[in-house]
Amino acid sequence: MIRRVALLTVLTVHLAAVTATTVNAKDAYIPILVPITGFIALEGTAQRNGAIQALENAPEGVTVTYEVSDTSTSPEVAVTALHRALERGKPVAAAASIFGTQMLAMAPLAQRAGVPLITVSGTAKLTELGNPYIFRFFPGDGVVKVAHARYAVEVLGAKRPALLYQTTSYGQSGQAQLAKILKDLGAPLVFEEALAPSAKDMLPALAKLRAAKPDVILLHLHSGPTALAIRQAREAGINLPVVAGSAMHQPSTAKLLSQAQLSGVCAESAASPISESDAKLVAFTREFRTRFHTEPDAFALAQYDGINMVLAALKDGANNAEQVRNWLASHTFEGLAMTYKSDGKGNMAHDALIVCYDGASLVPTIVKRYHNVDGAL
Amino acid sequence: MGASIPQLLVNGVALGAAYALIALGFVLVINAVGVVMAGGFVAVTITEYLTPWANDNLPDLAFIGPRASAVGLGLVILPLTMVVMAVLGLLFSALAYAPLRHRPPVSVFISTIAVGLILQHGANAVFGPEPRVGPPLVVDGNFALGPITLSIQQLSVIFAAGCLITGTGLLLSRSQLGRQLRAVAQDPEMAEAIGISAGHCIAITFALAVALAGSAGMLLSNQFFVAPSDGGLFMLKAYIAVTVGGWGRLDGAAFAALLIGVFEVMMAAFVSYVMAEALLYAGVLLVLLVRPSGLLRETIQRRT
Repeated sequence: MIRRVALLTVLTVHLAAVTATTVNAKDAYIPILVPITGFIALEGTAQRNGAIQALENAPEGVTVTYEVSDTSTSPEVAVTALHRALERGKPVAAAASIFGTQMLAMAPLAQRAGVPLITVSGTAKLTELGNPYIFRFFPGDGVVKVAHARYAVEVLGAKRPALLYQTTSYGQSGQAQLAKILKDLGAPLVFEEALAPSAKDMLPALAKLRAAKPDVILLHLHSGPTALAIRQAREAGINLPVVAGSAMHQPSTAKLLSQAQLSGVCAESAASPISESDAKLVAFTREFRTRFHTEPDAFALAQYDGINMVLAALKDGANNAEQVRNWLASHTFEGLAMTYKSDGKGNMAHDALIVCYDGASLVPTIVKRYHNVDGAL
Repeated sequence: MGASIPQLLVNGVALGAAYALIALGFVLVINAVGVVMAGGFVAVTITEYLTPWANDNLPDLAFIGPRASAVGLGLVILPLTMVVMAVLGLLFSALAYAPLRHRPPVSVFISTIAVGLILQHGANAVFGPEPRVGPPLVVDGNFALGPITLSIQQLSVIFAAGCLITGTGLLLSRSQLGRQLRAVAQDPEMAEAIGISAGHCIAITFALAVALAGSAGMLLSNQFFVAPSDGGLFMLKAYIAVTVGGWGRLDGAAFAALLIGVFEVMMAAFVSYVMAEALLYAGVLLVLLVRPSGLLRETIQRRT
């Protein structure tokens, strides 16, 4: 806890230093507008940390000024944060919220201002708006849900999947993709139920799910609800295999469950830094732990890669927001998690993977990789 | 589905019992100063952070056994967190109530929200946003009664909440302190005239209210984990319980809280979560329309 206070103090002092002075005209200015309070604070904090680690390691010759603004959980706060960033100086790009509802609100303002938003939000609609300033570095539901459904059906042999999903835009987007893909794969959902993020007692949903006699449980929930659903399922004696959404790959989610409860649990994700043995990823993970005293997840890594692509554009000579936007839209970038390239709509990530817990460790193993699976079966 | 009904009922009662503890805190403060301590959610949030921390960091207690296998560590942490939360309640009273006590009630209402939010975001910054799990009150696990399986933690929550609710009732009705608190709640000027310090009694009321809300946070932190925004969610349900039960009535609030917990769980099981939420609020509107003083007659006529 002392370390957290120290880190908070450092960040606050840094923020105060940044806000107390006007943005240096010679520096590239990249605000970080993410939710670090509220129900999505875990994911937003991972985003913030990934962005900071990339910016603190900016390539030689590239000088960057950054600041962190909390967008909390409402679209209004996110839009205000973007307004304030635009008043402070013309950003070359902004790291923007993982929360789809906030991104949908910020997108028109970013387009009017001509500032690229670098996000890891999975909400499918985001890149269907025709907004050329949105760049998504986490695979959207059109990618990860293909991996999610295919693993359940093709590897686990599911014929009667059941789904619990969130009532938020994130949950509804994933539910629509999963329902369609599973139907196309010949294994339509036999049960589905939407849960509000505030739902704590999952037993009612699990009792109905059990009555539908599924052969696999699919989850598309935020971090806490994912762990709650798995724990309460196991306590209720429902020991079916579980294929969860990205939240389950997060180390902080796994820590909520016992190893026995994690047995038979898999999750889709873009990456799992703590599971990788690649030297660059190991170095990233080590620095992240040292810097933030927590484990990195796929959201942190994706935001790190996204900001690094912006820095690569600056290094390559882009010196304003429009040039950065054009560079992002036209170049291929080798990130730590995967190779990023725009599909013309701002979807930069096209790979997904499946991790599984073996019941003996809290570190999941990567069991399957899916490359270039944009909506493809 | 049929085999799950007893456990569903137990879950509903346990959830309602936790709501009841928070609602009792509301009622105590309403009776004492005439306003809703809307920022009291912070007690739930901070306790939910504090108990996992205490579970991980308290030195091993020799009479309980090694932490990893400790049975009943929650029984030690529960009173400890209530004491810490009582101190927070005194702080809350000093910061959110005392400076504004001569202002209109709405000022205190807003100031409690402000102080609550400051403390909640402070806890988020200090403890971090990761969800956490608190210790079980006694022990994790289930036990079987024929074909029925029941959660030991949920039954423990019901028992502990029952003891705390009964204890609060006895404190208020049978003790000298309780009589003083009630005297101040009924007529602070007359209480002052006979030598009772209204300021001290109000501060103690805040301490008791926050400690009760904190106990709910501790009891919920094992079964439902902890997230930064959870306190507000539970407080909303408690507020509804106070409104439905009868403004200012301890028994009404406890009864309505239990009703809400069971209603939520059973409606979610037999209809859906979305409908359970919608029907709950529709029910509240109906009660306000048909019986605006609450299911039991309200004792306080002024609502903030």
